[in-house]
Amino acid sequence: MRITWLRSRLFRSYVRVFILLWAVAKVAMVAGAIVFHAPPLAFHPVGEAIACAIELSVLVLSLRAAHEDVLLGNLGMRLSVALAPLVVLHFVLSGALSLLG
Amino acid sequence: MTVRPAVLAGDSIDCRLGGREILRAAYVDAVPGSITALVGRSGAGKTTLFNVLVGRRRPDRGQVRWDGARVPRPSLAGLARRGLFYHPDRPWLALHLSPADHFAMLPAGREWRAVAATLGITGWLERRVGSLSGGELRLTELAVGVALQPAAALLDEPFRGLEPRYRERVAEVLRLLADRGAAVLYADHDVESVRRTADRLFSIEQGVTRLVEGFRDRPLREWYHEWPS
Repeated sequence: MRITWLRSRLFRSYVRVFILLWAVAKVAMVAGAIVFHAPPLAFHPVGEAIACAIELSVLVLSLRAAHEDVLLGNLGMRLSVALAPLVVLHFVLSGALSLLG
Repeated sequence: MTVRPAVLAGDSIDCRLGGREILRAAYVDAVPGSITALVGRSGAGKTTLFNVLVGRRRPDRGQVRWDGARVPRPSLAGLARRGLFYHPDRPWLALHLSPADHFAMLPAGREWRAVAATLGITGWLERRVGSLSGGELRLTELAVGVALQPAAALLDEPFRGLEPRYRERVAEVLRLLADRGAAVLYADHDVESVRRTADRLFSIEQGVTRLVEGFRDRPLREWYHEWPS
């Protein structure tokens, strides 16, 4: 992973979109937990992994629609590598929120 | 002119889409220092062949070769690391960023400022890509390509939708890439434009390709409109 990529404005824009997606997914998870009388902010690894996969899928679809996968490809980066730091971000955010709860 | 071995080649490519045969034993290659054109009508299979070359579509048969060796699972990222630059037939820069933001992402050591000056794009380096005109955007995309210092450049319809002054500049960029040693391969449907720009030419019709010798001198009807019979 190149430091240049992590510091780029393009990656930072993906981080912003991903945080929005994470927030939407988290609201849905909290709502589901309330309906089923479960702790709303509890950390469930499997649930988090599914949510993370959905968030990444939405992000990948949007950047493919904009043909930015070609831009990343020309820079020699596979989508999976370019977006891998966002997986860490998802679990850090969800973990921090569960600690707060 | 001595023709050097091909950097990038697609060999014996068969590809079916939705039950329709799009490519039939298609062959195309690009050699260093030359501009090779792939010319054919819309729907002839040009874009599909390029998609196969960069791994965006898996062929039913055939192989992609880089420097003569088969590439087992071609992907744009993998080929880019070997030195490929790919320009699809639609805008591919991030519209919300500036050209300067894109250049900042290039691998270390790429001297993009000189390229930007050579291509005359310094006037809009800080503007949002989404606010550029079609010609400005195309030149910016190509400037990123030149700055990547590719060994091979694959460009799908690089002249499409451009006004004449930008068409001339795009042709100059293709020549610049070739003069710097890149193997340039581009697709077009304008045979007269191809005659002015290309050094080598492949014709594609109904998914079948052939190398056309003497395309500058022979009447068009001999090698394009009446083929295949």
